[in-house]
Amino acid sequence: MNNIIYLVLGAVFGLLLSLAGATTFDFYVELFLFQNMQLSRVIASAVLVGVIGIWLMKRVQARAIMTGAKIIFDKKPAPKTLVLGSLLFGAGWAVTGSCPGSAPAMLGEGKLIILPVLLGVFVGTYAYGWMQNKLGSCGSSST
Amino acid sequence: MHQSIIWPAWLAGSGIGLLMVAFFWITGKQLGVSRAYGNFIALMSKNPFFQQQDYVSHSWRIWFIAGIVIGGFVAAMIAHPGKLVLNFDMGDAYNAILPMDLTLRMVVLFFGGVVMGFGARLAGGCTSGHVISGIPMMNGSSVLSGMLFFVGGIMTMQFITRVLVSS
Repeated sequence: MNNIIYLVLGAVFGLLLSLAGATTFDFYVELFLFQNMQLSRVIASAVLVGVIGIWLMKRVQARAIMTGAKIIFDKKPAPKTLVLGSLLFGAGWAVTGSCPGSAPAMLGEGKLIILPVLLGVFVGTYAYGWMQNKLGSCGSSST
Repeated sequence: MHQSIIWPAWLAGSGIGLLMVAFFWITGKQLGVSRAYGNFIALMSKNPFFQQQDYVSHSWRIWFIAGIVIGGFVAAMIAHPGKLVLNFDMGDAYNAILPMDLTLRMVVLFFGGVVMGFGARLAGGCTSGHVISGIPMMNGSSVLSGMLFFVGGIMTMQFITRVLVSS
């Protein structure tokens, strides 16, 4: 039952990403060349609504509907590799015209050109895990 | 042919913000996507990194990402009822900057995906975890990460259009 809730939440998220234009490749080029403000405005309004929503949840000391537990807004510690990782992520974001969230929605839309991107994200994720394992810092990277 | 329905940015953006808040309120968890790829790998790989608690449990991430695929499908069905248009198109803007040869283009996109997946793990999140949910949580590292996502994207796009394509 719980899994179905996540499935439905994911479906709404995917639909909204599509309606926002986050699954339209060309918007990404135009975003990074400052030619079209669609995605910037989408992100800005999502963050604005998010700020209000999180504030409200803290204000009413919201409890999670599924578990009844008080919601904890713990701040993730910044990994040491945050700066490099973010810049690399941005590069991939621009080249592929997608992000890890919008890519699965593109697949659902029938945009098959996203398949090599998805495969790449898996390989990149695996490479990170493989590297962490080699470095022996397993467990300390639970960011 | 492949026209999709695009809502006004403020409307779709507000919807995404509301979904993030609803997700938090319903599940008690912070919305994020990129880690889900590690959960998939955990199903197939014996690598100890992916056998950590974070990837072995939390199978909800797999359901969430499966839902995103369905959401995209629903969007396509609304735009073209009863007809899923399978295609390899990207559109004019990417046609102008990526190789036109499909194989070569797919190789470029694959490496773009590798860099994005690797970068997301180094950064500890992606556009969803850091920007959509991390920034509203006033998480300092998410604010920094979100800004650097844009710096990386803008620098890369400027490099591609000014150096690679124009030369």
